[in-house]
Amino acid sequence: MKQLISIIAIILMAITSAQAKGDIKTDTFSVDGNCDMCKKRIENAAYIIGVKRADWNKADHKIVVVYNSAKTNVEAIQQSIAKAGHNTPLYEAKEADYEKLPKCCHYKTEECHH
Amino acid sequence: MLTGIAIWMATATVSAQDTTTREKDLDEVYIRQKQATTTISLYDPMKKEKISNKELLKAACCNLSESFETTPSVDVGFTDAVTGYKQIQMLGLAGAYTSITRENIPDNRGLGSITGLTFTPGTFVESMQLSKGTGSVVNGFESVAGQINVEWRKPFEDKEEKWHFNLYQNSQARSEGNIVHKIKINDNLSTNFFLHGRSQWDRIDGNKDGFMDQPLDKQFVGANRWIWFSPKGWEVQAGVKGIYIDNVGGQMDYKKGMKEGLNMPWGFELDTRRVEGWAKLARIFQNKPATSIGLQLSGVYHNQDAKYGLANYDGIQKSFYANLIYQSIIKNTNHVIKFGLSSMVDNYREAYIDSLYKRQEVVPGAFTEYSYTASEKFNMVAGLRVDYNNLFGAFVTPRLHVRYAPFPKSALRASIGRAQRTANIFAENMGYMASGRGFIISHPSDSKAYGLRPEVAWNYGLNFTQKFQLNYRDGAFTVDYYYTDFKNQIVVDLYSDTHFVEFYNLNGKSYAHSFQAQLDYEILRNLDIRLAYRWYDVKTTYNGVLKEKPLVSAHRAFANIGYETRNQWKFDYTVQWIGPKLVPARHDHANQRKEYYSPSYVLMNAQITKTFKEVLDIYVGAENITNYMQHHPITSYDNPYSADFDASLVWGPIMGRSFYAGIRYKLF
Repeated sequence: MKQLISIIAIILMAITSAQAKGDIKTDTFSVDGNCDMCKKRIENAAYIIGVKRADWNKADHKIVVVYNSAKTNVEAIQQSIAKAGHNTPLYEAKEADYEKLPKCCHYKTEECHH
Repeated sequence: MLTGIAIWMATATVSAQDTTTREKDLDEVYIRQKQATTTISLYDPMKKEKISNKELLKAACCNLSESFETTPSVDVGFTDAVTGYKQIQMLGLAGAYTSITRENIPDNRGLGSITGLTFTPGTFVESMQLSKGTGSVVNGFESVAGQINVEWRKPFEDKEEKWHFNLYQNSQARSEGNIVHKIKINDNLSTNFFLHGRSQWDRIDGNKDGFMDQPLDKQFVGANRWIWFSPKGWEVQAGVKGIYIDNVGGQMDYKKGMKEGLNMPWGFELDTRRVEGWAKLARIFQNKPATSIGLQLSGVYHNQDAKYGLANYDGIQKSFYANLIYQSIIKNTNHVIKFGLSSMVDNYREAYIDSLYKRQEVVPGAFTEYSYTASEKFNMVAGLRVDYNNLFGAFVTPRLHVRYAPFPKSALRASIGRAQRTANIFAENMGYMASGRGFIISHPSDSKAYGLRPEVAWNYGLNFTQKFQLNYRDGAFTVDYYYTDFKNQIVVDLYSDTHFVEFYNLNGKSYAHSFQAQLDYEILRNLDIRLAYRWYDVKTTYNGVLKEKPLVSAHRAFANIGYETRNQWKFDYTVQWIGPKLVPARHDHANQRKEYYSPSYVLMNAQITKTFKEVLDIYVGAENITNYMQHHPITSYDNPYSADFDASLVWGPIMGRSFYAGIRYKLF
């Protein structure tokens, strides 16, 4: 048991120290969406290279992104989210991308019940 | 959770589900609720592990007993080598000590305590909450080891698909199909229909002992429930469920209805027919903040006819349950108080070989529970109930749960409580009927419960949860320790005589220590690991000797890795190591086989799922990948009508490696 814990600790430390020491930034902006299915898609889209964490809150439609500013920037993140069909403050989703969303995620017409 | 009854879990409950419901009707409560959902179970004085639908999909998961294979808190094992039924264990105690509820109404109590896990197909389930130790007094006095509450799919939710289809096939001739259909008539009225069919259609004998590893099986489960939210603060739910199961097992050439006896094939049959009906009514008072009244009603008719070789076991159970709960607050929501009345009526008629046992238990009771929130750091729930059992008299059930947060994102919880239950010795020990062992009850009587006293236990628990964020990814570390101390227990003694299983009231000590440590962490993006270890020390006094409980492994280690790609592939792998178990002595052709410890073994399961367009899932998987099996699980398998015959001493897998594939299709 002790061995197991120390092995885990070593693995975790190795991963932590392997991270590049860039400038870590946190940003919050709103993203249009409806439901848990949207949440998954939005977060996956936000998670481009350089992004460390993305949390979209379906209650207030705000996403919190943590990223390495040496590797990416907030414009690139928003562009990627818009490409997945969800409007962001800087980029509007193209109609074609929006149409690809499943019906329940059509945030322009469907009312958000959850 | 649909009724206002839900509110008593109020200030701090867990599931996002609750939030959704409450959002509809209970604005005041909802606001508090929202805080809680962000910190999830850290706020609740009772530790609850939420097992989501997503977790359930990690296993081939055809019914409840199988769905726990990826849960370290629950051990799953075969009851015997003939019937194919699996039983669960929590805190080292048999499944009957855990109370299983459907949306907080008691579900498989009584005759279905083992077989009942198959009555709820995984496809019906939205999520489960698992808590160890004695729970809230609001739910009754019975749970000793813990509670598993099963939430069904909610027809009023928009994320819930209109149609859900599932088909499953494995390499050992088992097929399954499920349909769930919801109709949302309007914002207030909705219903769902559940249908399940399953069949084991071929005789398989992987271990070449002449016995089917799993009986032939035909199973149908159907259910329908309605939910109505009135604009004036009423919430009403009603449902019915029917179950039909037909099992035929035993030796390979046994056929249903065959005469049994020497030189004839040994056979097992079990026919189960069960009907359940339930209703929940709740009224939320809109002019009084956080005040509600709720009534839960349920009725069960359960009829099973079993045959194990020459032994017949037939049982009929009729149960009725009512629970009335009033909830309010004192000044503010930091003080929540509940009062209630409950009534439980159980009527049993059981016949085993040539003995008939009848009993009617009527247990009216009253309870109160007070929840106090002092600050973000400290809260508690104290409950007390008094019940009167017509056979055994009055008893008092106190329970206390306390939570303290020493650090941010942590919770230290303690609990203490009493539990009492009447053992159904035949139904809970059906596995031993698959043997030549005779059942002996000390001072049997057909009045009271087989002439035995009720089981009484105190459970003490301590657990600590620390959530953390490491390298921008979330993790949680949990340790828990529980101690169960029996004041009375119906001892199931396999040690004293190899040809009998004896039942008697505890005379001496009986206890169970349980320790578990678990680490969950998203080690890389979308790559989740779960590592767990658990330890049990379960001992009972058998005829004056304090001894380890048979067939319980003291050690178990568990690892699960799940990975999800962006293009919707999911990979899941579970490996567990199960430590040695004490196997009682056996008697085989006049050769005494001494008791021994079974070898430890490793079990591995893996599954791959691909989702297409978010509506179609195709999955393939393998169970018991290393093909590990208990060698000759049946003693004296070539002479099944002898007293030496014993298929009940099972410590390992009966079935070898199997592959399966299935599809799930959603129509919105």
